[in-house]
Amino acid sequence: MLNRRLLKNLDFVAIFVTLLLLAISLVFIGSATHINTPSEDRYWYVQRQGLFTLFNIILVYFTLNFDYKILSRFANALYVINLVMLLAVMFVGHSALGAQRWIQIGPVSLQPSEFSKIIMIIALANMLDHRWGQLRTLREVLPVFVYVGIPFLLVLKQPDLGTSLVFMAILFGMIYVAGINTKILMGIFAAGIAFMPIFWHFLKDYQKMRLLVFLDPNVDPLGSGYHIIQSKIAIGSGMVLGKGLFGGTQSQLNFLPENHTDFIFAVIGEEMGFVGAFLILFLYFILLYRGLKIAGVARDNFGTLLAAGIISMLTFHILVNVGMTAGIMPVTGIPLPFMSYGVSALTTNMLSIGIMLNIYMRRQKILF
Amino acid sequence: MQVKRSKSRIDILAILLVFIFCALISRLGYLQVVQGKYYERLADGNRIRLVPIMAPRGVFYDRNGVTLVSNRPGFTLSVSFINKAISDDVIAKMAEILEISPKQIKDKIANKSGSYEPITIKSDIGPEFVTKIEEHKHELPGVAIDIQPIRNYVDNELAAHIFGYVSEISDWELAKLKDKGYKAGQIVGKSGLERVYDLDLRGVDGGNQIEVDVTGRVVQILGKRDPVPGNNLILTLDYRIQRAAEKAIDEQLQYLQTDTRYRNAKAAAAVVMNPQTGEILAMVSRPVFNPNLFAAGISYKEWEKISSNPFHPMDNKAISGEYPPGSTFKIVTGTAALELKKVTPEEKILDTGKHWLIPKGNAEGEALGWINFKEALSKSDNVYFYEMGNRLGIDNLEKYARMFGLGAKTGIKLLGESEGLVANKKYKEKVFGEDWYLAETFDAAIGQGFQLATPLQLAMMISQIANGGQRYQPYLVDKITSPAGQVIKTFEPEKTGSINISAGTLQLIRQSLREVALEGGTGAFAFHDFPIPIAGKTGTAENSHGSDHGLFVAYAPFDSPRIAVAVIVEQGGFGAGSAVPIAKKILEAAFNVNQPLTVNAKVLTAHTAL
Repeated sequence: MLNRRLLKNLDFVAIFVTLLLLAISLVFIGSATHINTPSEDRYWYVQRQGLFTLFNIILVYFTLNFDYKILSRFANALYVINLVMLLAVMFVGHSALGAQRWIQIGPVSLQPSEFSKIIMIIALANMLDHRWGQLRTLREVLPVFVYVGIPFLLVLKQPDLGTSLVFMAILFGMIYVAGINTKILMGIFAAGIAFMPIFWHFLKDYQKMRLLVFLDPNVDPLGSGYHIIQSKIAIGSGMVLGKGLFGGTQSQLNFLPENHTDFIFAVIGEEMGFVGAFLILFLYFILLYRGLKIAGVARDNFGTLLAAGIISMLTFHILVNVGMTAGIMPVTGIPLPFMSYGVSALTTNMLSIGIMLNIYMRRQKILF
Repeated sequence: MQVKRSKSRIDILAILLVFIFCALISRLGYLQVVQGKYYERLADGNRIRLVPIMAPRGVFYDRNGVTLVSNRPGFTLSVSFINKAISDDVIAKMAEILEISPKQIKDKIANKSGSYEPITIKSDIGPEFVTKIEEHKHELPGVAIDIQPIRNYVDNELAAHIFGYVSEISDWELAKLKDKGYKAGQIVGKSGLERVYDLDLRGVDGGNQIEVDVTGRVVQILGKRDPVPGNNLILTLDYRIQRAAEKAIDEQLQYLQTDTRYRNAKAAAAVVMNPQTGEILAMVSRPVFNPNLFAAGISYKEWEKISSNPFHPMDNKAISGEYPPGSTFKIVTGTAALELKKVTPEEKILDTGKHWLIPKGNAEGEALGWINFKEALSKSDNVYFYEMGNRLGIDNLEKYARMFGLGAKTGIKLLGESEGLVANKKYKEKVFGEDWYLAETFDAAIGQGFQLATPLQLAMMISQIANGGQRYQPYLVDKITSPAGQVIKTFEPEKTGSINISAGTLQLIRQSLREVALEGGTGAFAFHDFPIPIAGKTGTAENSHGSDHGLFVAYAPFDSPRIAVAVIVEQGGFGAGSAVPIAKKILEAAFNVNQPLTVNAKVLTAHTAL
């Protein structure tokens, strides 16, 4: 099936940038974990992440065999499976750090809310494909919001504020590309802001605390305020050129908690300085820019929507994660794509890139 | 096709993308380039420290509000990372001042490597050490002394087995409890109520975030969070009864060891409960330990003393000790025989001193002649009950023993409860691979042989006779209250089973037990002039490892029982001589008989309302 014409049409820039990011990720996961881990398991995290990276590359290659169009056939089924999965976490999942998000399958802890992001993109792309250009009135727009709203509330209930906000980013990115009436979009934004106080009421205490801490880190100097202050110290003290790989005193002495997962960008900022951080962000920018290009040249609306959703998701992740480590976004537990340690998130991101490559590869209408 | 239209929207998204990345890069530039020097200074030997302020654990009160367990302030010595590691000089100096080996300190630090919080080296150090540390402050960078709450067991050993003790969380506990927010170095409950209710008791630690200079001196406090004290437990215990029970047991053991031939009477247990609800009013186990020793970190010598004691002071024998119930079990055998109509109350059986099938007899070889049920139970005749066992068979005995809750955990919320054992065929076949013999039924019928019960189970058994056959879950905590005193949770009596026992049988059993305390009964010497009518049953259990164990179970007042007691004295000889005097003193305290006038009035009035 993968004939030479299709292979020739691969987006080699996106592939190169992705592989580069994955390689950098392994280096910094190693840097973040090697000192605080007993010597016999020193490279446990790196090995595990490396193994899953390889596995995912093979997986992505395998998915390229199929035309992305077949996803639309499974969209509704995936949507239902997603709801079942999210409900399952609520009843059988085990909690970490105060949130119930995990399901244990053999040696792997799966985080269904990670996979639910890509499922949401596929399901929503299928829905909006059928409503393309028919998002002119509130009446036409409302079903879309209900469709996303149900899984959104389930994730919020877990509680996983970060992922639920990702759903919102995906929704707005895709519905915008699908041609929603901009007046209605503005109206929804305004209503969203007006309903903030009610939304606040539904947050858990620790989530409220995180948002308050964002406004004033000293509200909770021992909890998330501590993370923000230490993360800023780590990044800031990296200065222009950084302290060198494995040389970050803040990350290495474990002043910085969760430095291989959510706060890995602080390790990069400290050890590689502004230059390194800038280059990483530049790689992300190229990848996302390619993604938007793919959305533009897709052979059909379904492809455009898928790409738009993926770009929205990744952009939101990068904005919130890097913003959090730099102290301009609240701590919401959103990992940095391709960079943070974590098997579920890696798989989701790799599958997303696979879909993007798939769309680009099959951008030309079949002429024969 | 509207692809063209979406193209322009994609362009707008591209502009948004550029904008987002510019914002992030500007922010990084500001942090790393503009403010870089400032953050470098802060990072230089990271000057931000976290000093946790331990939350005081919840207080234990007795049912009348008497404080039983609280907290007191103590000095804690800790050390934190100043630069890369803590130098050997500092460790050596600390070791010298604290008079401990440098290795001990190194081990503590090694255990917590990677921690960004100060590492506790020693808690509750004396004021003389505090002065010395302050004098050598300049040689001890990173070393700090804080005031932290230390657990205080007001009456030292009182109810130690119920309260349990606290100490620093162990590695394996930490691995298990990490999800619940436990952190290294925290003080946690290790046994008793301290452990079972740890989540309620622990509160939320607070802390200071401080900036320090290169030597570790505080420059400024950046932020503070006050600790939230843990929730309090209002127990079902009655301090007066508990104290009286402990004193009675200590005095009795002392007496038995010095003035009788029972020199090995060194262990004992007692349970006092309200038979109508399952509330535990007192629970004692001997020998005992002082939980205050653990609160500040027990010394090796003291621990050695406890762990080498052959009578296991850490065990709560009231719930974990398994003893042959001896003649107290005749209550079960008697109930079964009457209920299953194997005997009538009037039928007389001839006790010639020995049973006619198997030559087993009474303990002292005495013969009581023709006796009926009431006489047999109140005088604790073995031959009569051998015959009951013979008529019932082991399966019926097992059935009724289980109905009384024997052979199963009572479910009291304490760790380490034993199940006891109900003699049965299956057990023997499983463990010994042998058939059942009639002689074993005889033994089982008088609470010997395979039969084992905990003091708590015996207290439950007599409670069921007292309350007409209901089994209530025994419990120790009446209420959980917030630090401000608001009730968070109230525990209600909970029925967990009942025995089918006819009114006639119940009445006959009760009257027989009443006779025990009257002229001619085995407990008469202690209770014949007791102002409150009581009913009870003595027991003397054969012990292959030494002298017999003495037992006594009782309830009072006879007509409307409010107190049920079970007492066992290991190797104390006859139940009447060892356990009965203890039970008497407990009942005196419970009913305010022969009490000194010093008892505080509030406790007294509250108690009479019981």
